[in-house]
Amino acid sequence: MTNDLSTAVEVDLDMIAEQVWSAFLNGDNEEETIFAAPDTGAHTDLAASVAMVGAYEGHLVVSCSHKASRDVASVLFAMEPDEVTPDDVGDALGELANVLGGNVKSVLPSPSQLSLPRVSATAHERWPGTVEVCRTVVRWRDEAYVVSLLSGGQSASNNTQGA
Amino acid sequence: MKILVADDSRVMRQIVVRTLRQAGFEDHEIVEAPDGAEAKSKVDSEKPDLVLSDWNMPNMSGIELLHALRAGGNTVPFAFVTSECSDEMIAKAEAGGALFLISKPFTAETFRERLSDILG
Repeated sequence: MTNDLSTAVEVDLDMIAEQVWSAFLNGDNEEETIFAAPDTGAHTDLAASVAMVGAYEGHLVVSCSHKASRDVASVLFAMEPDEVTPDDVGDALGELANVLGGNVKSVLPSPSQLSLPRVSATAHERWPGTVEVCRTVVRWRDEAYVVSLLSGGQSASNNTQGA
Repeated sequence: MKILVADDSRVMRQIVVRTLRQAGFEDHEIVEAPDGAEAKSKVDSEKPDLVLSDWNMPNMSGIELLHALRAGGNTVPFAFVTSECSDEMIAKAEAGGALFLISKPFTAETFRERLSDILG
């Protein structure tokens, strides 16, 4: 199934990102996190994504630099950044995409299912046949996190079971 | 009491356990499982008093876990901690015998509100 692109999809990515950062990433003495930050086309190294299959077909993707991904893993695992392993980064960034994707899916046409998250190098990641519906940039600890909702394309994973 | 936390994400299991402590439930024993199949085994072997389960997991999903437990006659209190709470999923969860869904992201306050009656 492909989405009817004439159907307006209203997703407040800024609000969803703010809820996720506030609950899981911002500490008590956190410097200001900027939501809906200017999109400066910052270089990203890693992309974490979840696919949506069903009444809505698409992907939620969060992209960031290696340093940014280590910062996320460091806070979520409550460990020092230099102690974070690549496995930790994959787990943490994937879960960030999963939580963002689950919340996005809740406001999209249903029923649909969410895949398990996938994390890979941005340079190797492609979503053929998709168009970007909306995006936002979160600036946290001087790093940019690009959150994108893509519509259409082939399912990225067969392992879809709900969020 | 003993609480089984099932989630395929290590970091999310850690966040759930940390949030339980922050919510004042630090005196309970925690058992973890990385998917529904292992959670099923641990419900049988560890006999937890509460299961907090993700929905979307490899091998056996959270809802499949719940169905398997109830089909086997196990009535352990069961709640989902999941990244979305659509009406469809809430209806499936309740029909399967779950107490409620806690949506990610959550806070310690949410855990206190939803779990105080069970954990004291």
